[in-house]
Amino acid sequence: MRQFLPLLLLSAATPVLGQVAATTPAASAASTFEARPWYRPNHVQVQTAGGMGLLAAGVGYTTLRDRLEADVLVGYVPEKHAGSTLSIFTAKLLYSPYTLPLSDKFVLRPLTIGIYGSYTHGTINDEVRGQYTKGYYWFSTDTRIGPLLGGRLSYLRPTTTPTARQRRISAYYELGSNDLYLVSLFTNANRKSLSPADVLTLGLGLKMDF
Amino acid sequence: MSLSTSFRLRASSCAAALTLLGGCEILEFSPNAYNGSKDQTNLTAKHLARLAANPLPPGDTLRFVFSGDSQRFYDHAENLVKSVNQQRGLSMMVIAGDISDFGLAREMRWIDERLSKLNIPYLTVIGNHDQVGNGREAYQHIFGPLNYSFIYGDTKFTFIDTNSREYNFNGKIPDVPWLQQQVSNLQGAKRQVVMSHVPPDDGDFDSRLTPAYTNTLATAPKLVFELNGHRHSFRIGETFNDGVTYINSSSFERDQYIILTVWNDANDQPKYRLKTVHF
Repeated sequence: MRQFLPLLLLSAATPVLGQVAATTPAASAASTFEARPWYRPNHVQVQTAGGMGLLAAGVGYTTLRDRLEADVLVGYVPEKHAGSTLSIFTAKLLYSPYTLPLSDKFVLRPLTIGIYGSYTHGTINDEVRGQYTKGYYWFSTDTRIGPLLGGRLSYLRPTTTPTARQRRISAYYELGSNDLYLVSLFTNANRKSLSPADVLTLGLGLKMDF
Repeated sequence: MSLSTSFRLRASSCAAALTLLGGCEILEFSPNAYNGSKDQTNLTAKHLARLAANPLPPGDTLRFVFSGDSQRFYDHAENLVKSVNQQRGLSMMVIAGDISDFGLAREMRWIDERLSKLNIPYLTVIGNHDQVGNGREAYQHIFGPLNYSFIYGDTKFTFIDTNSREYNFNGKIPDVPWLQQQVSNLQGAKRQVVMSHVPPDDGDFDSRLTPAYTNTLATAPKLVFELNGHRHSFRIGETFNDGVTYINSSSFERDQYIILTVWNDANDQPKYRLKTVHF
């Protein structure tokens, strides 16, 4: 563990954008993407909870030397848990600055920070035109935005060619919250009453990079 | 509640719940969903059962607390509970709707976590904020029916959903025929009280139903008063000059609640006394 520490600090301090800019786009494409089409995702994932559905599945892209991910998910909540069937469309932006090799098979990413935005389709009392006067409810009933904080453990799958992108399967957790919960926590004098733990959500998922 | 205790409470049921997906609040499927706590469900039925287990002797006066609009005032709710618990001779508390601000299950549970520390049962009627998104379903899961009635201490209570705007003024809310049925039959009670969130003179009440609603109350036998919330400030009066007294509660934020005492006089006519308590 100790021998990685200077490396970690160095990697965190180095401007990541600068590193990418130093390599030519062609070289970068060749080494990291193996000339795969730009639109082909780098990973697929499934997740439960975290406000994104009983079950959510999605795809995503990785960039900035494997540290920045942009994911989109479609989630599903059955009627029995919400009163109506909900479809949740989520976009996440995640940044994982540290990579800790645990062995030649396992890698830990202890910290992932990010934000997400989601749109929920299928709520029962969704505003219809003219139902409310302007500003009657100041918040959106189906668009949420919130912070994420998590980590993941990856299993590295053997690769056939030495230049191939690292293939791995990762289990991740994400603690999060959303705008309405944070408003509840931080407005009025509620910090005396609600605790930060009250407004937390937890998502658990599997991600496969290929 | 400290962060660690609260987190332990939220996480305690989670280990088992992971195998039985959905029984753990932190593993939230959607803020609009109500998966989570198995204890905080059917609260109306549970509080009615507590009332039924402690009957008032016949002929006694009934004292109860009245407030409304607890939405997002969690610290005020804690202070209210401390104050109410110091009062003597109370049978229950009634809350005139808007338990939540965003119609989310977690908000309703936050309020219940505080109000469940009352020494007395509490009963609610649904408010307009409780119906946003999937709030109506969350309310029914956590509390219970939108329209219901019960008898306690010789008094019949009828609670009715008057949040017409949340149904886009469909002409069916409030359900006046149901109200008529409830208030026309005292079922052995000596007086009655009606409670709803939106008062009938408010713009969020379906104006096409106002005459039928107010006439129903004006002709209801032994009606003491109708209780409302929504306006966040105390008001009392005969709004329609038809002999029916309407009392509007302050919101939790105003740090005051009302104690109502009801009884029947020598001519068997209902009487009440109102006391405002600041905390």
